[in-house]
Amino acid sequence: MTSLVDFLTDSVLRGPTIGSMLMCIATALVGVILLIRKETLLGEALSHAAYPGIVGSALFASLIFKTPGADEGMSVILGAFLSASLGLFLISFLQKKVSLHSDAALCMILSLFFGVGVLLASRLQVTHAVWYKQISLYLYGQAATLVDRDMAIYAVLVLITALCVFFLYRFVQWIYFDRAFAKSVGASVRKVEFLVHFLLILSIVIGMRSVGVVLLSGMLIAPAVAARRWTSRLSMLFFLAALIGGGSAFLGNYLSVNLPLLFHRESLALPTGPMIVLVGAAISLFSLFFSLESGLIFRAYRMRAFKNRCLLENVLKRLWKEGEKREFSFSEIVHFNQLSSLSGSLLFFKMRCQGWLQRKGKGRYRLSSDGWRRASRTVRLHRLWEVYLVDYLGQHADRVHRSAEEIEHLLSYELERELTRLLKDPKKDPHKQPIPNDHESLLG
Amino acid sequence: MNPYWGKDFFEFFSLLFLRLVRAMKGDLAFCDLASDEVQLLVLAGVGISTSLIGNLLILKRMTMLANALSHTILLGLVSAYLFLFPLMGASEEGIGMDLNLLMAAAFFTSLFTVLSTEFLKRVAKVQEDASIGLVFTTLFALGITAVTLFARNLHLEADAVMGNVDALHLHDLKLVGFVALLNAVVMLLFFKEWKITAFDSRLAASLGFCPLLFDLLLLFQTALTLVGAFRAVGVFLVLALLVFPPLAARRLTHNLGRLFFLSPLLGAAASVLAVALSRHLLSVYHLALSTAGLLVFILGCLYLLLLLPSLTFRKKKGIIL
Amino acid sequence: MHALEIEQLTVSFDKTPVLWDINFSLPTGRLCAVVGPNGAGKSTLLQAILGIVKPLSGTIRLLGEEARKVQARVAYVPQRSSVDWNFPISVLDVVLMGRYRKLGLFKWPKASDRDAARSILKKVGMLEYESRQISQLSGGQKQRLFIARALLQQADLFLLDEPFAGVDMATEKEILELLGKLKQEGKTLLVVHHDLSTVQNYFDWALLLNTALVASGPMEEVFHQANIFRAFGKRHALLEEVARLSGDVL
Repeated sequence: MTSLVDFLTDSVLRGPTIGSMLMCIATALVGVILLIRKETLLGEALSHAAYPGIVGSALFASLIFKTPGADEGMSVILGAFLSASLGLFLISFLQKKVSLHSDAALCMILSLFFGVGVLLASRLQVTHAVWYKQISLYLYGQAATLVDRDMAIYAVLVLITALCVFFLYRFVQWIYFDRAFAKSVGASVRKVEFLVHFLLILSIVIGMRSVGVVLLSGMLIAPAVAARRWTSRLSMLFFLAALIGGGSAFLGNYLSVNLPLLFHRESLALPTGPMIVLVGAAISLFSLFFSLESGLIFRAYRMRAFKNRCLLENVLKRLWKEGEKREFSFSEIVHFNQLSSLSGSLLFFKMRCQGWLQRKGKGRYRLSSDGWRRASRTVRLHRLWEVYLVDYLGQHADRVHRSAEEIEHLLSYELERELTRLLKDPKKDPHKQPIPNDHESLLG
Repeated sequence: MNPYWGKDFFEFFSLLFLRLVRAMKGDLAFCDLASDEVQLLVLAGVGISTSLIGNLLILKRMTMLANALSHTILLGLVSAYLFLFPLMGASEEGIGMDLNLLMAAAFFTSLFTVLSTEFLKRVAKVQEDASIGLVFTTLFALGITAVTLFARNLHLEADAVMGNVDALHLHDLKLVGFVALLNAVVMLLFFKEWKITAFDSRLAASLGFCPLLFDLLLLFQTALTLVGAFRAVGVFLVLALLVFPPLAARRLTHNLGRLFFLSPLLGAAASVLAVALSRHLLSVYHLALSTAGLLVFILGCLYLLLLLPSLTFRKKKGIIL
Repeated sequence: MHALEIEQLTVSFDKTPVLWDINFSLPTGRLCAVVGPNGAGKSTLLQAILGIVKPLSGTIRLLGEEARKVQARVAYVPQRSSVDWNFPISVLDVVLMGRYRKLGLFKWPKASDRDAARSILKKVGMLEYESRQISQLSGGQKQRLFIARALLQQADLFLLDEPFAGVDMATEKEILELLGKLKQEGKTLLVVHHDLSTVQNYFDWALLLNTALVASGPMEEVFHQANIFRAFGKRHALLEEVARLSGDVL
């Protein structure tokens, strides 16, 4: 098995690998813009619409050159570009002049163009089988057979893409933060849209050799979706997406060579497209679950932690209401709060550890001064919120208790200060009960 | 020996007509069907089943989802083949023969696609278009990899893309007929429910219907239709059959009922034309082209033809029926 | 008996609260306006009453019963902008949808249903358009179409979402007359309305909403400067912050 490093150093492997990485960096960058504009499905339609251009240009070139050679790359790129542009034109025509919904228009052009491509390909298959084999590489992607001359062309195209993205950055930022404002700026939006669509077609034309037209939209979407989980800053988004795109391309190429070996199929070379997409998707999935802020795992953990805290605070409140000097036994605490013996024991243990429960003799406990203060705080927040609801929002006093039962666990220090200031430090809640003092409720 | 060999476009139809008359008189049995006729019937059947479903997909804005399904179906087929085939014992060569197998494939496909998309949208809070795109490209990539590694012999990749009309048997006719019939029955049975859930799902919900159930049913029907169609036209081109006949029929009428009647007609007509044209091109110009590709081309031309009147006359109507 | 009794209704989409702890009741036979700024949850309130949207908490009682049991007696007239007017369907077919609940699954509308639909169309003055495709109607006609559908349902409670939006004076008068007639027949109407200048003239009951309830009750009592100010003033920042926090952990 060739090692990972070989892919960057070996004279045969490194060209295609690096080329592939550059291509996917380009698609990832454009993909971020598409994601923000919610236009990823347009990418899907246009990448399929490029297919007849690829085949058509091959048909045309096959009439001149017997075998695909030096200029095949250029003509294919040109053909794909023209075909996708025509597709784009027709899509907007259908949407504007025929009032078709975007869903239907996209699918129409997608299937029509792809079908025409299939039609042309069936001809090519018979007349110039060599050419047919060559363009089949563009269906699912095969970077491995890239030649140096093609690489140069692609490198230039990637550079153009990067420059355009850089130029568009300011506009994308507008859309990202305030769509309505961006819309109100009218004319520039149209020019931006033109440039974005140009970029999209360019990225398709760049990426199709590596990922293939069928799967290209995957590499537009996956890096952007993954990057979004780790950051909301636009510049970081572009950077991370490019990183993930390049990384996926690298690993994808690696896998396409080595995976068949794992299954004892030495002579097989998997198309690079599916492998790159699978890696990209795996990274996305990982990001969805494990990213720090919005990752599902951490969200689930936060929710659990919150529920436990609510339970604890409610128990403390209950004990507080019994009075400062009151003593309890363990079983009293458990039954009083209707806890199961397991959760009761856990809570009891936690309260003891935090020092909120004091031992007062054999089997008798009571709230320590720390515990007292901790409980007062929750009660204070509860009653403050009730005052807010009644005085500020005009709700009925008999209706505010339930809401306060939930909100008391949520209010932060800043919010508490804000409430105190807004309500002018009230001393009594709507039910005439005293509100514990600020000092009493300070956490130790 | 294929009686259609060497016939051009018009000769094709006169021969077809003659043989049809003979069949009605009882002189021609099913097993005497020429391969061109089998292709014609299967494609027409596919055209009918897709058009029926396609109407609803368009009205409910679910065509991209159908596109997604047409990609993930590959994985469904491979899964059915790899997991169920050994369990279900002997069946004729390869995939495409066993009805149960294919139903299972359709079921898996719609299940995978819907569950993953919904998971991404609701739980992971990914935006809708990205969810669909991510799901189907990933599942398709998985499918292609699985086929290449484990099921190379099935030639699924090539056939899956382009279809292979020349490999169609009478058996395929049974499958296609079954799907077409099923689609027609489901359409008729729930006609008013489809109408209301597509037009105003909120009203439908408030009136006691469950739009979600109907969406799921439609998705399953679509997957089944795809399964029935993939051998003939390949999974990617089915989308054209789903989308073009209904949109073309829409140029002719405003009435939902008539849409459901006209679009299968258009779909079937295009299929017949495609087979005839394919034969013509082969006989006269010695051009062997993909019949499925021709079908899509014809559908495109048909749509353009029906679109032109409303474009040139500038009237919103241009409705004949 | 009250047409509508809502207690502690809270609805949220994703992390934003759309309706917060709504408590109000509406007696029968009233023509009630729902007023508030954009995004205040007015349409959501209607959808929650219809059972289309699931609330986070709270109860809704309609006409004295649990909401779910009497869904058939509630009719919904949606916003004109929320409908796909290119849908291949005729005027008569849309009105007939009002009968679908009664028909249940599988059954097709009968001749008697069609006649009932036609007579309703006559009542709203649209009988001549019965076979037109719906995009061919004017704004006012589109509004009347949905009211006709609601009428066919023979409901007791009508929920209308901005029926007066974008119609001319003549149509506005016509719609108002229709609503007035319904009120006289003892029906209750809850109407989302956007035009503050006409609220007091058209309606006799008001509900001022700004995510939380600002005020509800008879028009003369409720519709005054202070309340209007609170309804249309900026959303309470504190409330927003708390809601955001709750979205993170709930």
